[in-house]
Amino acid sequence: MRKLSRNRRGVTPVLSSLLLTVIAVAGMSIAITATYVITDELHDSMGERLIVEDVWFTPDQVSLYLRNVGKVSVEMVSVYVNRTDQSFTALELEQDSHGWLHVSYSWSANSVYEVKVVTKRGTNVADYYVSPS
Amino acid sequence: MFRRLRRDRRGISNVIVVVLSLVIILAIVSNVVMWNYEMNQVDWEKIKENVTITNVENTTYWSQYTFKNEGGLTVHLVSLWINNSTIHQHYNINVFVNSAETKTYLREDIPLPTGSYTVKVVTERGNMAVYSGN
Repeated sequence: MRKLSRNRRGVTPVLSSLLLTVIAVAGMSIAITATYVITDELHDSMGERLIVEDVWFTPDQVSLYLRNVGKVSVEMVSVYVNRTDQSFTALELEQDSHGWLHVSYSWSANSVYEVKVVTKRGTNVADYYVSPS
Repeated sequence: MFRRLRRDRRGISNVIVVVLSLVIILAIVSNVVMWNYEMNQVDWEKIKENVTITNVENTTYWSQYTFKNEGGLTVHLVSLWINNSTIHQHYNINVFVNSAETKTYLREDIPLPTGSYTVKVVTERGNMAVYSGN
C-alpha cells in the first residue's frame, strides 16, 4: 500500500484523460446551450402572430386594440405612422391576451394613414386606416 | 481482416465527433421543422375560417346577433365590437359556431347606439366579420 502511494508512474496519463474529459464535457455543454438558445429564439420568432382588432382616432391620439393570436408573448417596441416613429404607451401581451396601444399622433380628418406595429422579435403588422371626418 | 479492424482504435474519436455533431444538427432541424409545421397549420386554419354576421337586431334593452360560419372549421368568437363615430366599445364573448351553422347570440347588457354603427366580431384565430347597420 505504501509502495503504491509512493509510485508516481501513470499519473500523467490519468491527469490528461481527466482533463480531456472535462474539456469534452464543457465543449458539449456549450454546444447544447448554443443549440437551445438558437432554436428557442427561432422558435419564438416563428410563433409570433398579432392582429389589430380595432383602430380608434381620438384627438391627438390613435389607439390600436391588439390581440396576441400566436404561441408566445409579444412586446411592442416601435410604432410607425406613415413610416415615422411615434411615441406610444408600453404594451406587452401574453398568449391569447389583448389590449389598447395608445399612439400619440396629431392626425387630420379624412386622411389615410399607414400604421405599423413592430414587436421585439421583429414581427410587424402594418395596414392602412382612414381617419374619420 | 475483421480482427485487425477490431483491434485498430485509430479514428474512433473522429467517428464519435461526427455522430455527436449529426445528433445536434438533427435536433436543431427537427425542432425547427416541427414548429414550422405547427405554425403553418395555424395559418392554414386561419385561412380556412369564414364567418359572417348576417343580422343584428336591437331593442332598447338588448341586442341579438346572428353569426354564420361558412368555413370548414368550428370558429370560436372571442371579441365583439360596437363602434360608431363617438365610441368604440369592446366586449369579451365566448361563442362557438360549428361549420355551416347559423347561431344567434343574445346580449341583454348591450344596447346598440342610435344612428349608424358597425358591429365587428373577432375569432380566436384572428379573423374578423363586420356588419354595418343603423
